[in-house]
Amino acid sequence: MTFTLILEQTFNGLQAGVTLFLVAAGLTLILGIMDFVFLAHGSQVMIGAYAAAAITLATGNFYLGVLLAIPVTFASGYLLEYLIIRHLYRRDHMEQVLATFGLILFFNEAIRVSFGPAALFSDLPPSLSGFVEILPATPYPAYRLGVIIVGLLCAVGIHLLVSRTRIGAMVRAGANNPEMTAALGINIKILFRFIFATGACLAGVAGMMLGPLTAVQPGMGEPLLILSLVVIIIGGIGSVRGAFVAAIIVGLVDTLGRVFLPAILRLFVEQATADGAGPALASMLVYILMAVVLIFRPTGLFPAKG
Amino acid sequence: MSGLAHFLTLASDGMKANRLFWLLIAGFAFFPIFTHFADLPFWNDVAMRIMLLGMAAMGLNLVLGYGGMVSFGHAAFIGIGAYCVGIGDFYGLTNGWAHMLLGIVVCGLMGLVIGYLALRTSGIYFIMITLAFAQMLFFLFVSLEQFGGDDGMSIDRAEFGFIDLYNPLRLYFLIWVTLALVGLGLMFIVHSRFGVTLRAIKSNESRIEAMGLEPLQFKITGYVISAVICGLAGVLFANWQEYVSPDIMHWTRSGELMIIIILGGLGTLAGPLLGAIVFLLLEESLPIMLDSVAPAYAENWMILFGPLLIMVVMFGRGGLVGLLAAQRQSKNNPKRTKAGQ
Amino acid sequence: MSQPVLNLQKLNKSFGALKATSDLSMTVMPGEIHALIGPNGAGKTTLIQQIYGALKPDSGQVSLNGSEITKLSVPDRVRAGIGRSFQISNVLMDFTVMENGIIAEQARLGHSFRFLQPAFSDAVLIEGAKAILQRVGLEKRAEQRVGDLAHGERRMLELALALAASPSLLLLDEPMAGAGPEDSQRMAEIIEALRGKVAILLIEHDMDAVFRLADRLTVMVEGAVIAAGTVAEISANEAVKLAYLGGEE
Repeated sequence: MTFTLILEQTFNGLQAGVTLFLVAAGLTLILGIMDFVFLAHGSQVMIGAYAAAAITLATGNFYLGVLLAIPVTFASGYLLEYLIIRHLYRRDHMEQVLATFGLILFFNEAIRVSFGPAALFSDLPPSLSGFVEILPATPYPAYRLGVIIVGLLCAVGIHLLVSRTRIGAMVRAGANNPEMTAALGINIKILFRFIFATGACLAGVAGMMLGPLTAVQPGMGEPLLILSLVVIIIGGIGSVRGAFVAAIIVGLVDTLGRVFLPAILRLFVEQATADGAGPALASMLVYILMAVVLIFRPTGLFPAKG
Repeated sequence: MSGLAHFLTLASDGMKANRLFWLLIAGFAFFPIFTHFADLPFWNDVAMRIMLLGMAAMGLNLVLGYGGMVSFGHAAFIGIGAYCVGIGDFYGLTNGWAHMLLGIVVCGLMGLVIGYLALRTSGIYFIMITLAFAQMLFFLFVSLEQFGGDDGMSIDRAEFGFIDLYNPLRLYFLIWVTLALVGLGLMFIVHSRFGVTLRAIKSNESRIEAMGLEPLQFKITGYVISAVICGLAGVLFANWQEYVSPDIMHWTRSGELMIIIILGGLGTLAGPLLGAIVFLLLEESLPIMLDSVAPAYAENWMILFGPLLIMVVMFGRGGLVGLLAAQRQSKNNPKRTKAGQ
Repeated sequence: MSQPVLNLQKLNKSFGALKATSDLSMTVMPGEIHALIGPNGAGKTTLIQQIYGALKPDSGQVSLNGSEITKLSVPDRVRAGIGRSFQISNVLMDFTVMENGIIAEQARLGHSFRFLQPAFSDAVLIEGAKAILQRVGLEKRAEQRVGDLAHGERRMLELALALAASPSLLLLDEPMAGAGPEDSQRMAEIIEALRGKVAILLIEHDMDAVFRLADRLTVMVEGAVIAAGTVAEISANEAVKLAYLGGEE
């Protein structure tokens, strides 16, 4: 019984972790290589979720919704970079914070105007709404398992892209030394736009997959944005590998902490105190983890710049 | 010259050099008379919000504008200040002065801890870490069910001795006096040896090290002072609102504070207050404007405000204070139109 | 013989496979102008950084006036008596020349945690600042914003700031780099005037200036000292000619 619960929650943590990774992967490169404070990355999650949900509702086909939403998110990232972001690279961080904060306000309101303030719900196709036995007599929702698998496949894909391709070599060079990369004649403009659009697309995929699990509503990407910032701080800015490790850790710590911390506390203190402090402590757990990492490794677990 | 006379000379010199700020303060002193005769009591409420947000923005401006530290988590200190009232109330502490003292001490300590951890880093890291710590406190209060959790807790206005806060004018002037004192304090601080060093660190940290000073000590001190000012604003905010919830420390409020500073003018005394005036007037007037053009979308004024913000970043450098200074300079000296110091 | 101002003992510093400082020992005596020369990439600036405290050696000892400072931070070393000018002028660009002097003076006095009295109109600080600026002849430019100063004047100001706290050791990292002949001449005169008053460790590529100014020379190649001595001794040293001077002619 307890073992089943632990296993189930571990899978939930993994699912949260891979979703976080999809958001953090692009963002860590935007922050690290482009040195650009991009707060509207959560909006890309929302755009992905809305695109998929809207197309699914219109066509009645979940797979078609996701398939068509992917190019939409890539295009939205590409356009955003072309229209606004590229004019802000040379501005200081504070101005970038403000401008991208303005983008968040705009996107949230634009979605509210177009789709209304209420949440959008789209049903899962029957093929995904069942359960899978991950162990004998241990059923687990098929859709969540699917999310984990897609997330891991994306992680492998990103890893191959960064470690095996020419673009990946440029990305790695950029993470180590942006000036050097520019001096080598690599077309930074195109590279940046590609990173940006791909990052937006990955965040969008995270949004699409989260859609059926949570409410698709304006501002849905922001909690994810802030957690992914924690992931990036822990993993080291600009490091995709760090983002993956940290995302899984944060996903697991957050999920397992919320479920088990009150119970664990009860072993040490009175029930009433534990019930009061447990949830509070659990909600702070990942941030405490971040603080501890900061104290011992101020540049994160896998610093990209040497 | 006696100590007091010396102090008064310094203060009057400073006031002359920061005329715009003190004109605004004087304006706020007379504003209730105007609203009384114009029969617009609602605007007293707007003015109180302006003063409260302006005060918090002035606190943030010490680190952001003068110290060059882009803190994206100062709403947390407003929240801590506000919860000092709420939680104090909850445990039977109803004295407002005690709330203020508590707010100052707790915000100072939290500022010290967060400042110490966050200031080990710089640049993008610093921005994100301050944001993350603010979120941590936000979620902490969301999960504290005994203090209302997500829904927050309603509170009675505190007892400030002879000042009965249920008289709206007394609340107004308690806020006004606090704002003026904060302004006075900041005016001294930024020109003092400490303030000058903080500004020099913003300009060139390694030269300050080469002079034998430890930049971190000054940055942390500045961070703590600014946290305390935001905490004071929070204590008053809770009394004004008669209600505290985690919403008061939502991360978008940290963004708002930054917007206010940029709108008004970074690293100036009057900037944050001027910015708060403009920000809240926009917030009040954009829905009305939208209502006259497209009534169905009056609530969606953010759809205009977002792009406006991007425009300000792209085209409006120096904020309103810079704009005013440029205007004055071009009047005095038609050849030069660039914003001067 | 008196105690050396700076004493480096068996310093080692590597960056990965690159050995930037290799078993390096040297001394700088009180009041002497000591030039550190060597081809590009010899590790001169890395060595200066270790003396200054911006880099920590992997092993070895740095001592100032007989006490070990190897583990001290930059500000602590400055307070212990090290002044420095950087390769690229390092001054407070957003302030006036006078304000630069005032901040240096208040740092020297060690009372920077004061929150009331305005610093820039403090008579005590202004007096001190004037004295600091006079040393390099910048008192006439006091009201100028540093951002508007010519390159040479900025270098002078930086030297003035480095001298403000009366250091016992002055580290000058290419003080003449990028300066015109007139500015170089002026800088050389000021350095000359400091002879005997403060120990100077000088890195400079202008060899004429080095031979004119230096009391002693240390020659570095690939992170190690290959020769040390007076100008005459070094000029006559075959190893130096071969490794360094010969290569340039």
